[in-house]
Amino acid sequence: MHVIGNITIYLAFFLSIYAFIVYILGINKQDQRFIDSGKGATMGIFILASLSMVLMFVLLGTSQFQFEYVAHYTSSDLPLIYKLAALWAGNAGSLLLWTFFLTMYSAMVTFSKKMKRNPMTPYITSILLLNIMFFYFILSFVTQPFAILENTPVEGRGLNPMLQDPGMVFHPVTLYLGYVGLAVPFAFAIASLIVKNMDAFWIQMTRRWTIIAWAFLTLGNVIGGYWAYTELGWGGYWAWDPVENASFMPWLTVTAYLHSVMIQERKNMLKIWNLSLIILSYALTLFGTFLVRSGVLTSVHAFGETNLGAYFLVFMAFMVIFSMYLLMSRYQLIKKDTGQFEAYVSKESSFLINNLILLGGTFAVFWGTVFPLVSEAVRGTKVTVGVPFFNTVMSPILLSLLFLMAICPLIAWQRASFKNIKDKFLIPAIISVAVAIVIVVMGVQDAYPVLGFTIITFMILTHLVEFIRRTRARRHVTKEAVPVALFRLMIRSRRRYGGYIVHLGIALIAFGIVGANFDVERMDTLAIGETLTIGDYTLTYEQLGQRSDGVNESVFARLAIEKHGRDLGYIYPERVFYLNWEEPSTEVAVRSTLREDLYVVLSGWEEDRRATFQVKINPLVQWIWIGSFVLVLGAVFAIWGGRYGQVNPRYTGPERNVY
Amino acid sequence: MKKNTKVILAGSLIFMSILVLLITATPTSSGAEVPINHLNENGKEYEEKYITTEGFLIENSVVWNADAIELQFDIQDEEGHKLSVYYHGVQPDNFSDDVIVIVHGYVTSDGIFEADKVQTRCPSVYEGEDPEDYDPDIHREMDRQLNIDDD
Repeated sequence: MHVIGNITIYLAFFLSIYAFIVYILGINKQDQRFIDSGKGATMGIFILASLSMVLMFVLLGTSQFQFEYVAHYTSSDLPLIYKLAALWAGNAGSLLLWTFFLTMYSAMVTFSKKMKRNPMTPYITSILLLNIMFFYFILSFVTQPFAILENTPVEGRGLNPMLQDPGMVFHPVTLYLGYVGLAVPFAFAIASLIVKNMDAFWIQMTRRWTIIAWAFLTLGNVIGGYWAYTELGWGGYWAWDPVENASFMPWLTVTAYLHSVMIQERKNMLKIWNLSLIILSYALTLFGTFLVRSGVLTSVHAFGETNLGAYFLVFMAFMVIFSMYLLMSRYQLIKKDTGQFEAYVSKESSFLINNLILLGGTFAVFWGTVFPLVSEAVRGTKVTVGVPFFNTVMSPILLSLLFLMAICPLIAWQRASFKNIKDKFLIPAIISVAVAIVIVVMGVQDAYPVLGFTIITFMILTHLVEFIRRTRARRHVTKEAVPVALFRLMIRSRRRYGGYIVHLGIALIAFGIVGANFDVERMDTLAIGETLTIGDYTLTYEQLGQRSDGVNESVFARLAIEKHGRDLGYIYPERVFYLNWEEPSTEVAVRSTLREDLYVVLSGWEEDRRATFQVKINPLVQWIWIGSFVLVLGAVFAIWGGRYGQVNPRYTGPERNVY
Repeated sequence: MKKNTKVILAGSLIFMSILVLLITATPTSSGAEVPINHLNENGKEYEEKYITTEGFLIENSVVWNADAIELQFDIQDEEGHKLSVYYHGVQPDNFSDDVIVIVHGYVTSDGIFEADKVQTRCPSVYEGEDPEDYDPDIHREMDRQLNIDDD
């Protein structure tokens, strides 16, 4: 097994070098035979990567502790699902997963029907092969998934209890699907620069890829947030930790990119901007991996102090310099035929502002994340940038983005008239101001929550107005019933309405985030029978018990909940003792409603059964998860194929003899 | 001037305002990250300054007062320099011997670190500990210590 495993890695590494060389030869000599051989090798690499994955799953599932990775991250008592999910618990395994996705995407692009006889394909595959070569180099020589131990341990070390959570099964996979997915539009962009095909072909071809990658990136972040919220007992879903920031930055730049590409498609503008954005997004995925694996920053996430980060930094630098060189050398060509702004207030300019703010936000997060390093290098002291910095900087940025989201979709292309603006915005604006007044009268005095709720209301209303207006217009012509007209309207412009649904999802998420301004927290040590009051809730501590949960033991507390004198049942916060983990792990108890979460943590207990509780009321948190669901739904709607799906764009670049 | 140039100039204004926001927010919302030995030697220098430091937890130093919800413990760096920490709050998860504890707060004049935030570094996300640490009997021992009957 050990030999087979290593063969799949080494062979794939050599095959990727071979494929890259024959592709370059094929391109230079314009000889299809070389390209065909490269294609075969690309498929071969994918098959080998799949084999490595299957093998690793078998080793993990059957507890082959002679393998270092299996011994490090699993134990025989672990439920099968976590034995398998341990594949992405460590460095070697998670990089193997990354490589597998990369080879899968590469094979999909290389053998895609849409790219058949397209002269860009060999270039795209070569760029993807460069990535594959790098990852296989790491797997072959730096962190080997199939390394074996000198002495086989009787038992494995087991998986960190915090990782024994459904979040662990989905969070890394979704995040990597997003990260790796960005390599595809990047490869298309670079290929279009190399072949000097400066139209929007690469953008149209990768639209679905990018939205899928973006949706996975969103899901990855949200699942991570949900995991942190329920598993860590911090009571929060986002802490502006470097590791979280690492996955938030590419999300921001891809969001910008998804908007600005529309301008290139329609108006042939912002070409350099779009190329730069996709290069930046791709570079940020590598930068994130560098941050996570290098241990250069202080984070609550543990980083192995390995030299892995350095490899990622070098590779990232190489790819960025290479891309920038290509971009600069094609500068004059790209500038040719670039469209012009026709009016200051137009959809084009509003998209540009949205892009600048998103990029400004990315820079703010980047600055806050790397400032400790910069300060250490320049002044010798390592400075920490805390949550207050991010809140101060990001709150106005996010609010202005929400405001732009409210008005951008309704501003006309080219030129917006005053009447056009009045028709669409007057009623939503009046209602939003009324909402603001109600919120203030209800006693909310802080500027941010009032502004936040007002802008979110405005945004939801402008979108609803757009749905109503267009449905009405359609009914006027077709005389269809309202639901039919709405359905057909949406189905015929999936991209537009998918985008609107995504916006509504963001509004709901923002609603939940603004709710965090009103959270309340209490900590108390109670004896049995004593009560704790928080907000409208009264909790009575009734019992401290112990129960077996498979091989694990749990200590739990039972608290009766009462609200306004009404009995709401019980809540059971607990701490779980895992078989091979010294310290117990918090299992938060949450009672959720759309209005608020009652969040209870059992922090500890004394010999006389007094127990210490942390209790929080987190208003509106559920809307974050609901909004994320709506957002993904919108993304899926936008890319759904079928009769009114995307028409294949035509390649109009320079002719080549190889495909 | 072309419209494109004008729009881009206006756009740069947005970017500039974000930069100004960054520059003004950085000094007020950041603190220094200081190693323990440096804090021990130059404690006076850091009084009144928000500081982050980290070290390995010395488990037998932990004193917990449940009624007051007060936690006291010592951490030490690899060379054995110690720092006493006081925290009004509860133990975070994984608060066990030799775990890296990150503390944020202020140093008092008597050299005690008053933390307003205590975090443990979530272990082995990407790299595990040494296999020798594993002890299969540990769970049974923990059960004995718990001594909680289900009533």
